[in-house]
Amino acid sequence: MNSIPVLTIEDVATLDGVLADFLKKAEADLTVVIDRGGNVISQFGDMNAMDVTIIAALAAGSFAATQELARRIGELEFNALYHQGNGSHIFMNSVDEDTIMITVFGRRTTVGLVRFYSAATAKIVSGLLKALQRNSHELSFEAADASTRQIFADE
Amino acid sequence: MSIINYASREIQFKIVYYGPALCGKTTNLAYVHQRISPTNRGDLVSLATAADRTLFFDFLPLNAVVIKGFVTKFQLYTVPGQVIYNATRQLVLRSVDGLVFVADSQWEKMEENVESFKNLADNLARQNVAIDDLPCVLQYNKRDLPNVAPLNYMEFVLNNRKKRLQSFEASSSTGENVFATLNAVSQILLHKFSKQNDVPQTIAPTAAVPGNPTLAKSETTPA
Repeated sequence: MNSIPVLTIEDVATLDGVLADFLKKAEADLTVVIDRGGNVISQFGDMNAMDVTIIAALAAGSFAATQELARRIGELEFNALYHQGNGSHIFMNSVDEDTIMITVFGRRTTVGLVRFYSAATAKIVSGLLKALQRNSHELSFEAADASTRQIFADE
Repeated sequence: MSIINYASREIQFKIVYYGPALCGKTTNLAYVHQRISPTNRGDLVSLATAADRTLFFDFLPLNAVVIKGFVTKFQLYTVPGQVIYNATRQLVLRSVDGLVFVADSQWEKMEENVESFKNLADNLARQNVAIDDLPCVLQYNKRDLPNVAPLNYMEFVLNNRKKRLQSFEASSSTGENVFATLNAVSQILLHKFSKQNDVPQTIAPTAAVPGNPTLAKSETTPA
Protein backbone atom coordinates (compact mmCIF):
# COMPACT_ATOMS: atom_id res chain seq x y z
CA MET A 1 0.00 0.00 0.00
CA ASN A 2 1.22 3.48 -0.88
CA SER A 3 0.38 6.60 1.06
CA ILE A 4 0.37 10.31 0.32
CA PRO A 5 2.15 12.97 2.43
CA VAL A 6 -0.37 15.05 4.34
CA LEU A 7 -0.37 18.69 5.34
CA THR A 8 -2.65 18.85 8.38
CA ILE A 9 -4.80 21.89 9.18
CA GLU A 10 -2.26 22.81 11.88
CA ASP A 11 0.66 22.51 9.42
CA VAL A 12 -1.10 24.76 6.92
CA ALA A 13 -2.00 27.28 9.65
CA THR A 14 1.64 27.47 10.77
CA LEU A 15 2.89 27.95 7.21
CA ASP A 16 0.16 30.50 6.52
CA GLY A 17 1.20 32.47 9.59
CA VAL A 18 4.79 32.70 8.38
CA LEU A 19 3.72 33.66 4.85
CA ALA A 20 1.21 36.25 6.11
CA ASP A 21 3.91 37.87 8.20
CA PHE A 22 6.20 37.94 5.16
CA LEU A 23 3.56 39.50 2.89
CA LYS A 24 2.83 42.18 5.47
CA LYS A 25 6.48 43.11 5.93
CA ALA A 26 7.41 42.94 2.24
CA GLU A 27 4.13 44.55 1.13
CA ALA A 28 3.79 41.93 -1.60
CA ASP A 29 0.52 40.61 -3.08
CA LEU A 30 0.89 36.85 -3.13
CA THR A 31 3.36 34.20 -2.08
CA VAL A 32 3.31 30.52 -2.99
CA VAL A 33 5.52 27.71 -1.70
CA ILE A 34 5.88 24.92 -4.26
CA ASP A 35 7.90 21.76 -4.68
CA ARG A 36 10.27 21.61 -7.63
CA GLY A 37 7.85 19.37 -9.50
CA GLY A 38 5.38 22.26 -9.62
CA ASN A 39 2.99 21.14 -6.84
CA VAL A 40 1.61 23.85 -4.56
CA ILE A 41 2.47 23.26 -0.90
CA SER A 42 1.11 26.47 0.58
CA GLN A 43 -0.13 29.82 -0.67
CA PHE A 44 -1.15 33.11 0.87
CA GLY A 45 -2.38 36.44 -0.43
CA ASP A 46 -4.55 37.75 -3.23
CA MET A 47 -5.30 34.78 -5.48
CA ASN A 48 -8.27 36.25 -7.33
CA ALA A 49 -6.38 37.62 -10.28
CA MET A 50 -4.33 34.55 -11.17
CA ASP A 51 -4.36 30.77 -11.45
CA VAL A 52 -1.87 29.70 -8.80
CA THR A 53 -1.63 26.15 -10.20
CA ILE A 54 -0.40 27.45 -13.55
CA ILE A 55 1.98 29.95 -11.94
CA ALA A 56 3.44 27.09 -9.85
CA ALA A 57 3.99 24.84 -12.89
CA LEU A 58 5.62 27.60 -14.91
CA ALA A 59 7.74 28.87 -12.02
CA ALA A 60 9.07 25.37 -11.31
CA GLY A 61 9.95 25.06 -14.99
CA SER A 62 11.55 28.48 -15.10
CA PHE A 63 13.63 27.80 -12.00
CA ALA A 64 14.78 24.44 -13.30
CA ALA A 65 15.57 25.79 -16.76
CA THR A 66 18.02 28.33 -15.42
CA GLN A 67 19.92 25.68 -13.45
CA GLU A 68 21.94 24.69 -16.50
CA LEU A 69 22.67 28.37 -17.17
CA ALA A 70 24.01 28.65 -13.63
CA ARG A 71 26.23 25.62 -14.11
CA ARG A 72 27.82 27.24 -17.15
CA ILE A 73 29.22 29.96 -14.91
CA GLY A 74 30.28 27.56 -12.19
CA GLU A 75 27.23 27.84 -9.93
CA LEU A 76 25.15 24.91 -8.69
CA GLU A 77 21.99 26.93 -9.31
CA PHE A 78 20.74 30.49 -9.07
CA ASN A 79 19.31 30.96 -5.59
CA ALA A 80 16.89 33.61 -6.75
CA LEU A 81 15.24 34.77 -9.96
CA TYR A 82 13.50 38.05 -10.66
CA HIS A 83 11.08 38.71 -13.51
CA GLN A 84 10.37 42.40 -13.93
CA GLY A 85 7.12 43.57 -15.50
CA ASN A 86 5.65 47.02 -15.98
CA GLY A 87 3.40 46.89 -12.93
CA SER A 88 3.65 43.37 -11.56
CA HIS A 89 6.78 41.41 -10.87
CA ILE A 90 7.73 37.90 -9.75
CA PHE A 91 10.54 37.02 -7.39
CA MET A 92 11.47 33.39 -6.85
CA ASN A 93 13.94 32.04 -4.36
CA SER A 94 15.14 28.61 -3.36
CA VAL A 95 13.91 27.36 0.02
CA ASP A 96 15.76 24.05 0.03
CA GLU A 97 16.71 21.34 -2.47
CA ASP A 98 13.05 20.35 -2.94
CA THR A 99 11.18 23.61 -2.50
CA ILE A 100 10.85 27.07 -4.08
CA MET A 101 9.07 30.19 -2.87
CA ILE A 102 7.36 32.51 -5.37
CA THR A 103 6.36 36.07 -4.56
CA VAL A 104 4.18 38.27 -6.77
CA PHE A 105 4.35 41.98 -6.02
CA GLY A 106 3.45 45.35 -7.53
CA ARG A 107 4.13 49.06 -7.20
CA ARG A 108 3.61 49.22 -3.43
CA THR A 109 7.05 47.71 -2.72
CA THR A 110 10.50 47.14 -4.19
CA VAL A 111 12.43 44.07 -5.24
CA GLY A 112 15.02 44.86 -2.56
CA LEU A 113 12.45 44.68 0.22
CA VAL A 114 10.95 41.48 -1.16
CA ARG A 115 14.39 39.93 -1.54
CA PHE A 116 15.39 40.91 2.01
CA TYR A 117 12.33 39.48 3.73
CA SER A 118 12.00 36.43 1.46
CA ALA A 119 15.51 35.23 2.39
CA ALA A 120 14.58 35.19 6.07
CA THR A 121 11.16 33.65 5.36
CA ALA A 122 12.72 30.91 3.22
CA LYS A 123 14.88 29.88 6.18
CA ILE A 124 11.85 29.64 8.46
CA VAL A 125 9.80 27.74 5.84
CA SER A 126 12.70 25.35 5.27
CA GLY A 127 12.87 24.63 9.00
CA LEU A 128 9.11 24.08 9.17
CA LEU A 129 9.14 21.71 6.20
CA LYS A 130 12.01 19.72 7.69
CA ALA A 131 10.05 19.40 10.93
CA LEU A 132 7.00 18.27 8.95
CA GLN A 133 9.08 15.61 7.24
CA ARG A 134 10.35 14.35 10.61
CA ASN A 135 6.82 14.11 12.01
CA SER A 136 5.26 13.27 8.68
CA HIS A 137 1.65 12.25 8.43
CA GLU A 138 0.69 10.05 5.54
CA LEU A 139 -2.69 8.93 4.37
CA SER A 140 -4.22 6.22 2.27
CA PHE A 141 -7.89 6.70 1.60
CA GLU A 142 -10.52 4.00 1.83
CA ALA A 143 -11.22 2.33 -1.50
CA ALA A 144 -14.94 2.87 -0.86
CA ASP A 145 -14.33 6.63 -0.76
CA ALA A 146 -12.87 6.68 -4.26
CA SER A 147 -15.33 7.07 -7.07
CA THR A 148 -15.59 4.15 -9.51
CA ARG A 149 -17.41 6.19 -12.10
CA GLN A 150 -15.66 7.66 -15.10
CA ILE A 151 -13.53 10.48 -13.71
CA PHE A 152 -13.40 12.73 -16.75
CA ALA A 153 -16.22 12.88 -19.26
CA ASP A 154 -15.99 13.76 -22.95
CA GLU A 155 -18.64 16.45 -23.22
CA MET B 1 4.90 14.02 -5.65
CA SER B 2 1.27 13.84 -4.68
CA ILE B 3 0.28 15.83 -1.62
CA ILE B 4 -2.87 16.15 0.50
CA ASN B 5 -3.78 19.53 1.93
CA TYR B 6 -6.28 19.06 4.75
CA ALA B 7 -6.92 22.77 5.12
CA SER B 8 -8.08 23.27 1.54
CA ARG B 9 -9.14 19.59 1.29
CA GLU B 10 -7.21 19.11 -1.93
CA ILE B 11 -5.11 16.28 -3.33
CA GLN B 12 -2.67 16.92 -6.18
CA PHE B 13 -1.44 14.39 -8.72
CA LYS B 14 0.96 14.92 -11.62
CA ILE B 15 0.46 12.93 -14.82
CA VAL B 16 3.00 13.18 -17.65
CA TYR B 17 2.37 12.31 -21.31
CA TYR B 18 5.63 10.94 -22.73
CA GLY B 19 6.55 9.74 -26.21
CA PRO B 20 8.53 10.45 -29.38
CA ALA B 21 8.32 13.70 -31.34
CA LEU B 22 5.05 14.37 -33.18
CA CYS B 23 3.29 11.32 -31.67
CA GLY B 24 0.30 13.37 -30.49
CA LYS B 25 0.97 14.20 -26.81
CA THR B 26 -0.05 17.84 -27.18
CA THR B 27 -3.07 16.82 -29.28
CA ASN B 28 -4.21 14.60 -26.39
CA LEU B 29 -4.15 17.56 -23.99
CA ALA B 30 -5.74 19.89 -26.53
CA TYR B 31 -8.61 17.44 -27.03
CA VAL B 32 -9.16 17.06 -23.28
CA HIS B 33 -9.06 20.84 -22.87
CA GLN B 34 -11.55 21.31 -25.69
CA ARG B 35 -14.05 18.69 -24.53
CA ILE B 36 -14.01 18.79 -20.76
CA SER B 37 -16.37 21.10 -18.90
CA PRO B 38 -14.66 24.50 -18.33
CA THR B 39 -15.66 24.33 -14.67
CA ASN B 40 -13.37 21.32 -14.25
CA ARG B 41 -10.28 22.66 -15.98
CA GLY B 42 -7.87 25.57 -16.09
CA ASP B 43 -6.17 27.05 -19.13
CA LEU B 44 -4.03 24.91 -21.42
CA VAL B 45 -0.55 26.40 -21.22
CA SER B 46 1.67 25.53 -24.16
CA LEU B 47 5.30 26.51 -24.32
CA ALA B 48 5.86 25.85 -28.00
CA THR B 49 7.96 27.16 -30.88
CA ALA B 50 6.47 29.23 -33.70
CA ALA B 51 5.99 25.95 -35.59
CA ASP B 52 3.89 24.53 -32.70
CA ARG B 53 6.58 22.09 -31.60
CA THR B 54 6.67 21.71 -27.83
CA LEU B 55 9.72 23.54 -26.53
CA PHE B 56 9.37 23.08 -22.80
CA PHE B 57 6.05 21.47 -21.84
CA ASP B 58 2.30 21.74 -22.14
CA PHE B 59 0.31 21.97 -18.94
CA LEU B 60 -3.38 21.44 -18.24
CA PRO B 61 -4.81 21.47 -14.69
CA LEU B 62 -8.00 19.43 -14.14
CA ASN B 63 -10.26 19.20 -11.09
CA ALA B 64 -12.49 16.31 -10.09
CA VAL B 65 -14.25 15.12 -6.96
CA VAL B 66 -13.29 11.47 -6.94
CA ILE B 67 -12.40 10.97 -3.29
CA LYS B 68 -15.10 11.71 -0.77
CA GLY B 69 -14.54 15.09 0.83
CA PHE B 70 -11.58 16.13 -1.33
CA VAL B 71 -11.11 18.04 -4.56
CA THR B 72 -8.60 16.07 -6.59
CA LYS B 73 -6.35 18.13 -8.84
CA PHE B 74 -4.81 16.28 -11.76
CA GLN B 75 -2.00 18.22 -13.41
CA LEU B 76 -1.36 17.00 -16.94
CA TYR B 77 2.03 17.69 -18.52
CA THR B 78 3.58 16.75 -21.84
CA VAL B 79 7.30 16.54 -22.52
CA PRO B 80 9.05 17.76 -25.67
CA GLY B 81 9.54 14.67 -27.82
CA GLN B 82 12.55 15.80 -29.82
CA VAL B 83 15.68 13.88 -28.89
CA ILE B 84 17.75 16.98 -28.10
CA TYR B 85 15.44 18.09 -25.29
CA ASN B 86 16.28 15.29 -22.86
CA ALA B 87 17.26 17.65 -20.04
CA THR B 88 13.79 19.21 -20.28
CA ARG B 89 12.14 15.79 -20.16
CA GLN B 90 14.05 15.01 -16.97
CA LEU B 91 12.78 18.25 -15.42
CA VAL B 92 9.16 17.59 -16.35
CA LEU B 93 9.37 14.04 -15.00
CA ARG B 94 10.34 15.33 -11.58
CA SER B 95 7.80 14.25 -8.91
CA VAL B 96 5.65 12.43 -11.48
CA ASP B 97 2.76 10.33 -10.11
CA GLY B 98 1.39 8.76 -13.30
CA LEU B 99 2.47 8.25 -16.91
CA VAL B 100 0.86 7.93 -20.33
CA PHE B 101 3.29 6.71 -22.97
CA VAL B 102 1.98 7.83 -26.36
CA ALA B 103 3.35 5.74 -29.23
CA ASP B 104 3.04 6.63 -32.90
CA SER B 105 1.51 3.60 -34.63
CA GLN B 106 3.00 4.31 -38.04
CA TRP B 107 5.51 1.70 -39.20
CA GLU B 108 8.29 4.21 -39.82
CA LYS B 109 8.02 5.53 -36.24
CA MET B 110 8.60 2.22 -34.50
CA GLU B 111 12.29 2.78 -33.86
CA GLU B 112 11.55 6.21 -32.38
CA ASN B 113 8.89 4.66 -30.13
CA VAL B 114 11.36 2.13 -28.78
CA GLU B 115 14.05 4.76 -28.31
CA SER B 116 11.63 7.05 -26.48
CA PHE B 117 10.42 4.27 -24.18
CA LYS B 118 14.01 3.38 -23.35
CA ASN B 119 14.72 7.07 -22.74
CA LEU B 120 11.74 7.19 -20.37
CA ALA B 121 13.07 4.22 -18.40
CA ASP B 122 16.53 5.80 -18.25
CA ASN B 123 15.19 9.16 -17.08
CA LEU B 124 13.04 7.52 -14.40
CA ALA B 125 16.03 5.48 -13.26
CA ARG B 126 17.88 8.76 -12.64
CA GLN B 127 15.14 9.49 -10.09
CA ASN B 128 15.45 5.93 -8.73
CA VAL B 129 12.00 5.06 -10.08
CA ALA B 130 11.10 2.02 -12.19
CA ILE B 131 8.27 2.10 -14.72
CA ASP B 132 6.68 -0.86 -12.94
CA ASP B 133 6.43 1.24 -9.76
CA LEU B 134 4.43 4.01 -11.44
CA PRO B 135 0.84 3.97 -12.67
CA CYS B 136 1.40 3.86 -16.42
CA VAL B 137 -0.68 3.15 -19.52
CA LEU B 138 0.25 2.86 -23.18
CA GLN B 139 -1.60 4.68 -25.93
CA TYR B 140 -1.10 3.47 -29.50
CA ASN B 141 -1.98 6.68 -31.29
CA LYS B 142 -2.80 7.57 -34.90
CA ARG B 143 -4.73 4.34 -35.50
CA ASP B 144 -6.82 6.23 -38.07
CA LEU B 145 -3.85 6.48 -40.44
CA PRO B 146 -3.43 3.91 -43.24
CA ASN B 147 0.18 2.84 -42.64
CA VAL B 148 -0.03 1.66 -39.05
CA ALA B 149 1.57 -1.44 -37.55
CA PRO B 150 -0.82 -4.18 -36.33
CA LEU B 151 -1.78 -4.12 -32.69
CA ASN B 152 0.00 -7.40 -31.94
CA TYR B 153 3.21 -5.95 -33.28
CA MET B 154 2.86 -2.77 -31.17
CA GLU B 155 2.25 -4.92 -28.11
CA PHE B 156 5.28 -7.09 -28.90
CA VAL B 157 7.54 -4.09 -29.40
CA LEU B 158 6.41 -1.90 -26.49
CA ASN B 159 4.55 -4.08 -24.00
CA ASN B 160 6.50 -7.31 -23.98
CA ARG B 161 7.33 -7.49 -20.31
CA LYS B 162 6.49 -9.46 -17.21
CA LYS B 163 4.13 -6.83 -15.86
CA ARG B 164 2.22 -5.69 -18.90
CA LEU B 165 0.67 -2.27 -19.06
CA GLN B 166 -2.88 -1.47 -20.00
CA SER B 167 -2.95 -0.27 -23.61
CA PHE B 168 -5.33 1.71 -25.78
CA GLU B 169 -5.71 2.14 -29.50
CA ALA B 170 -6.38 5.80 -30.03
CA SER B 171 -6.64 8.64 -32.46
CA SER B 172 -5.96 11.85 -30.60
CA SER B 173 -6.91 14.02 -33.58
CA THR B 174 -10.47 12.61 -33.56
CA GLY B 175 -10.50 12.08 -29.80
CA GLU B 176 -10.99 8.32 -29.97
CA ASN B 177 -9.95 6.79 -26.62
CA VAL B 178 -8.28 10.01 -25.45
CA PHE B 179 -10.54 10.16 -22.40
CA ALA B 180 -10.37 6.38 -21.93
CA THR B 181 -6.58 6.66 -21.66
CA LEU B 182 -6.78 9.55 -19.17
CA ASN B 183 -9.44 7.83 -17.09
CA ALA B 184 -7.43 4.62 -16.98
CA VAL B 185 -4.23 6.21 -15.69
CA SER B 186 -6.24 8.31 -13.19
CA GLN B 187 -8.03 5.24 -11.85
CA ILE B 188 -4.79 3.25 -11.53
CA LEU B 189 -3.27 6.23 -9.72
CA LEU B 190 -6.18 6.47 -7.27
CA HIS B 191 -6.06 2.74 -6.78
CA LYS B 192 -2.37 2.91 -5.86
CA PHE B 193 -3.18 5.12 -2.88
CA SER B 194 -6.33 3.34 -1.74
CA LYS B 195 -6.23 0.85 1.10
CA GLN B 196 -7.26 -2.09 -1.06
CA ASN B 197 -4.76 -1.93 -3.86
CA ASP B 198 -4.02 -5.60 -4.35
CA VAL B 199 -5.48 -5.60 -7.87
CA PRO B 200 -2.68 -5.77 -10.44
CA GLN B 201 -2.07 -2.74 -12.61
CA THR B 202 -2.85 -4.61 -15.81
CA ILE B 203 -6.51 -5.09 -14.91
CA ALA B 204 -8.62 -2.35 -16.44
CA PRO B 205 -10.78 -0.33 -14.06
CA THR B 206 -14.41 -0.80 -15.08
CA ALA B 207 -15.05 2.88 -15.70
CA ALA B 208 -12.14 3.24 -18.06
CA VAL B 209 -12.82 0.43 -20.52
CA PRO B 210 -13.29 2.11 -23.89
CA GLY B 211 -15.93 1.13 -26.37
CA ASN B 212 -13.41 -0.10 -28.92
CA PRO B 213 -13.67 -3.91 -28.99
CA THR B 214 -10.07 -4.30 -30.10
CA LEU B 215 -8.91 -3.13 -26.68
CA ALA B 216 -9.88 -6.41 -25.08
CA LYS B 217 -7.75 -8.12 -27.67
CA SER B 218 -4.79 -5.88 -26.89
CA GLU B 219 -4.90 -6.89 -23.25
CA THR B 220 -5.10 -10.62 -23.81
CA THR B 221 -3.00 -11.22 -26.89
CA PRO B 222 0.15 -13.14 -25.98
CA ALA B 223 3.29 -11.19 -26.71
